[in-house]
Amino acid sequence: MASSQSVLTTGDPGHAVEEHTPLAGLAHDSRGGISNPILGMLLFICSEIMFFSGLFAAYFSVRASTTPWPPVTQDELLNEHFHLEPLFAFILTVILVTSSVTCQMAVWAIRRDDRTGFIRNIAVTLVLGIIFLIGQLYDYSMLGFGISDTPFGTTFYTLTGFHGAHVFGGAVMLSVVLYRGLAGQFSARHHDAVEATSLYWHFVDVVWIALFSTLYIL
Amino acid sequence: MASTPGSRPSTTTIIGWLIAAVILGGLAILVVLNAQSIWTSFFPPEAKSVEGQEIRDLYDIVFIIAVAIFVVVEGLIIWTVIRYRRKPGDVDLPPQTHGNNLAETIWTVVPTLIVIFLFVISWQTLNSVEAVSAKPDLKVRAIAGQFQWSFDYLPADAKADTKPIFTVTAPIGPEGGLVLPAGQTTHLYLQSPDVIHAFYVPQFLFKRDVVPGIVNEFDLEIPADVAGQTFRGQCAELCGVGHRIMVFEVRTLAPAEFQTWLDGKIAEASATPPPTPSGGPVGPPVNVTAQGVKFLEAALTAPATGFTLHFDNKDASVPHDVDILDASGKKVFDMKDFPGPEVRDIPVPPLPAGSYTFLCSIHPAQMTGTLTVQ
Amino acid sequence: MATTTLTPAASSYRSGLYEWVTTTDHKKIGILYLVNSFIFFFVGGLLALGVRTELATPGLQVLTDEHVYNQLFTMHGTVMIFLFIIPILAGFGNYVVPLQIGAPDMAFPRINALSFWMLPLGGILLLMGFLTGGAAAAGWTSYAPLSSDRVGAAVNAGAGPGQDLWIMALVLIGTSSILGAVNFLVTIFKMRAPGMTLFRMPILVWTVLVTSVLVLMATPVITSALIMLFIDRNYGGHFFDPATGGNAILWQNVFWFYSHPAVYVMVLPAMGMISEILPVFSRKPLFGYKAFVFATAGIGALGFSVWAHHMFTTGAVYLPFFSLMTFFIAVPTGVKMFNWIFTLFRGQLTFSTPLLFALGFLTMFLIGGINGAFSAAVPVDFALHDTYWVVAHLHYVLFGGSVFGVMAGLYYWFPKMTGRMLNEGLGKVQFVLMFIGFNLTFFPMHQLGLAGMPRRIADYAANAGWNDLNLAATVGGFLIAASMLPLLWNVFISLRAGKVAGDDPWEGNTLEWATSSPPPPYNFDRLPEIRSERPLFDLRHGRTVNH
Ligand code: HEA
Ligand code: HEA
Ligand code: CUA
Ligand SMILES: [Cu+2]
Repeated sequence: MASSQSVLTTGDPGHAVEEHTPLAGLAHDSRGGISNPILGMLLFICSEIMFFSGLFAAYFSVRASTTPWPPVTQDELLNEHFHLEPLFAFILTVILVTSSVTCQMAVWAIRRDDRTGFIRNIAVTLVLGIIFLIGQLYDYSMLGFGISDTPFGTTFYTLTGFHGAHVFGGAVMLSVVLYRGLAGQFSARHHDAVEATSLYWHFVDVVWIALFSTLYIL
Repeated sequence: MASTPGSRPSTTTIIGWLIAAVILGGLAILVVLNAQSIWTSFFPPEAKSVEGQEIRDLYDIVFIIAVAIFVVVEGLIIWTVIRYRRKPGDVDLPPQTHGNNLAETIWTVVPTLIVIFLFVISWQTLNSVEAVSAKPDLKVRAIAGQFQWSFDYLPADAKADTKPIFTVTAPIGPEGGLVLPAGQTTHLYLQSPDVIHAFYVPQFLFKRDVVPGIVNEFDLEIPADVAGQTFRGQCAELCGVGHRIMVFEVRTLAPAEFQTWLDGKIAEASATPPPTPSGGPVGPPVNVTAQGVKFLEAALTAPATGFTLHFDNKDASVPHDVDILDASGKKVFDMKDFPGPEVRDIPVPPLPAGSYTFLCSIHPAQMTGTLTVQ
Repeated sequence: MATTTLTPAASSYRSGLYEWVTTTDHKKIGILYLVNSFIFFFVGGLLALGVRTELATPGLQVLTDEHVYNQLFTMHGTVMIFLFIIPILAGFGNYVVPLQIGAPDMAFPRINALSFWMLPLGGILLLMGFLTGGAAAAGWTSYAPLSSDRVGAAVNAGAGPGQDLWIMALVLIGTSSILGAVNFLVTIFKMRAPGMTLFRMPILVWTVLVTSVLVLMATPVITSALIMLFIDRNYGGHFFDPATGGNAILWQNVFWFYSHPAVYVMVLPAMGMISEILPVFSRKPLFGYKAFVFATAGIGALGFSVWAHHMFTTGAVYLPFFSLMTFFIAVPTGVKMFNWIFTLFRGQLTFSTPLLFALGFLTMFLIGGINGAFSAAVPVDFALHDTYWVVAHLHYVLFGGSVFGVMAGLYYWFPKMTGRMLNEGLGKVQFVLMFIGFNLTFFPMHQLGLAGMPRRIADYAANAGWNDLNLAATVGGFLIAASMLPLLWNVFISLRAGKVAGDDPWEGNTLEWATSSPPPPYNFDRLPEIRSERPLFDLRHGRTVNH
């Protein structure tokens, strides 16, 4: 029976030297290229894309089985409200897209080891994100229909609500990054968390653009 | 360490194999004794619709091919396992074959061809089963609601939502069921007011879901020689507590008899409905409550001089009724069902003293109790 | 030398509860997964015994309320799928994958611990339904609008919060799967030892890779569906209610878009384990390694294009397309089947318990695959859908396939996990009982289905001709339960006094056998060189043997 002795002695040591990497070399990702946290975030974003695909599929399917769209109900006032006003949402879109730009500027800054630029841009991104959230809540409060008012209301609030929740999640991540940045934990060499957060923030932005186009324009 | 080749099996192993042998032997004897009925049990029941017969033909081909694949592959496994067990002399390694491209190609291509063949024949059958006649002999709308079937007979030019000429409300029994003419084609629409159900008649080898918001339709052609028979149908999609009791019957009649039946029903429907008993309660009230497809009362007492049934149906959109049977099982009082939540007062005529059964004719298995008339 | 001189890690496994609760070691987490999954296997099994007892003879003998029956099979299916088979395969993956690729741990050990702890939490949430006025009762598939409508709660999915708890539990378990999948993928892509190229990875690692991709792409979709269901139930939403403009078929599309790929999540890793075991016990390499990799990837890809084969009778899907795709999926699976057989062919088979269970997998999964292919012929499915035929199919693939695979894996890796062998005699008794019990339970269900017995009914007419077959199935169910007793006893005695395993009791091929049993915290002191998919075989026999 092969015991561990044979495992390590019958091999030809002369040949294997360069392959016998000590444990320490293995503890971190040893394979170069993209780092573990960033790859993890990219994969997680794939799953998030599928999540929103599910919601979008539901939206289009419900929309296809409800004619006309937006629906017409007994309630005249409600029917009026169903015609969304894209202007305010457009302003929100501009805010979120801008925040994506500043977020990327923060990443570029930390890659140059420009820590003040990094912190400034992250802070601006966070503020813009919060403005977006407040703006969305304000928008909700002005809409004259609720989640249970026809499939229109249901899909509208589900899609925008879950997007809002993701913006909130992104804002939390930005806050952590900001806090750690202020604590001086990031450098040009070591800033995976920043890269990962910015990827997530861009993703949230792209989802919003898709939402804005389908809900307000299409 | 791994058990050395050729070592003697332990006692537990021997006992294990003995038990297995006894069970397998017993099974083998049973199989031989019942060969005929075992063989037929691998096939669906004899088909009683033209579409069903086509499906049965397809099933037979699929079955033969499946059995052939099963025998070949399973046989190969068993033969290999028996042939290549490790023997005491096996010290050197067996040949270390890593693969063979020709073999891989063969067992990719052959199954591909088989499945393409299976796909083509099942597609053909599908097309003819799904085909609908431009001028069916009859149109019926089957309505499946929690937990009862009813059948609307429609005029010849009907669409899915046309008003019925008459409706058969009892899903089973000599007065009810889906009555179909033999030798003719019936076009069926399926409609559900609540959740998803499924129209399933094993003898037709067919089922189709009854989906709220969607009207499913298909043709059913009963062969001319299948007249005067009754088949069991059952809801096949889980639809709530009463899913099991959603049974119905299909009765086939020869064309002439069917016409008589149809004319009778039409005449019945066009006759003025019997006047509903008006006026206030005619006797003391007796309370019955239906909730969760159950009667809350298991036993009732009532005076022989007649009484008023105060029936409270609490089950939203579930129809119930209260029928009274005498000791011989004959129906002495028949109430019309209605869906809840609703309360109705229904006068019951005087009954001779004695003991009776009351039940919901829609959910007889779950909703029944005793009534004592004094 | 170096490996054996390490402290025998067995002692570290006896450390306190605290150690287990806070661990981030992939091996301990893997074992936690296995233990937790087995507990839920017993829960799901007991629920199944309830089902079988009620169906033993016609008449309602155990239950008076059919709602309870609906809860039994709903929770049976849900527990078995989401709390037993998917997690236990993830558990094996957790334990074995880092070892097999020569990594010290998973890429994100703390996320790994988090993924695990969401499972018992989800399980408790799910089972709470029984204590709070009724568990979910709309089937493990929970079709809307039955599950989405609260108005008819009394007759629909139940009056209690069971269905909502079901939703929450599944969201939690799904999130756990997604995090686990990300972890596996990063581990496999980034943490392989030098020399471990993609095409030298053990097949188990490949199957875990493809499974993780399936989880990553499919599980979020069911999460979105669950959220819609929750909104319909609790906030007056209209996703699934046709009366108010929703779409009743939407749920099925979204559910099966997840759940069909998910059935491969439930079997691919088991196939991977079989592919590790067969070569070892026939002393040959796996036949057609690359064909295996491509077949696994093919199953994964095709798996996304067949979901509507569960919806053939809805009248709302394009039948020929889904029929063709469903037929095609038999081809890559067949490739695997033949490669397994040719791995055994001209080998030298040793009938240790792992091999017995692996052979159980081959012979039984074959039946389950073929009876699944019947349903790909759409008109045949018109007859078979929602009858016991489908129940037979799903147990032949899930039990005959996955559970036999799990048992094989358990006997195979138990020595590595604990340092002790399981008893062979008891193992064989378990195998024989289980094999017979399994066939006695589920084979008659084919005939019941053909005879027209619908699934999900608590009772049947005494004159329907189904009595004998149902009784046989019930007896078989209890035989399966009985077969679990030797296993429990076996684990119990072997942990205390089993034969000491040593590093490599089976003459294994892959890296986990190069370290001590159980392995030390970071797995390897030094790694042998990796020049093929069988580094240990090369070491044992020299690299001269034909490569
Ligand atoms: C581990 C889980 C698992 C696996 C692997 C499979 C594998 C397959 N399943 Fe199964 N299936 C389920 C789990 C699984 N299934 C479950 C749980 C349900 C029920 C859900 C519910 O409603 O509750 C279900 C239901 C189900 C249905 C719906 C039935 C209905 O409700 O009407 C269908 C229909 O096509 C189907 C088909 C298939 C096919 C074609 C395969 C194929 O992948 C099988 C391929 C394998 C082989 C065919 C054998 C080996 C091949 C050869 C030896 C080559 C030669 C063979 C041929 C040429 C045919 N399955
Ligand atoms: C991995 C998945 C898995 C597994 C392992 C099983 C295992 C079993 N299943 Fe499962 N089953 C499903 C998945 C699974 N099932 C699914 C998905 C459904 C569909 C649900 C739905 O329709 O929604 C289903 C449905 C289903 C039905 C159909 C119900 C219906 O439609 O009305 C039946 C009926 O017999 C059944 C029976 C059994 C039995 C007897 C076992 C046995 O193998 C169980 C073995 C028993 C144990 C493991 C018990 C543990 C042992 C002890 C406690 C020992 C002590 C006790 C004694 C000795 C008495 N199952
Ligand atoms: Cu109606 Cu089941
Ligand atoms: Cu499927």
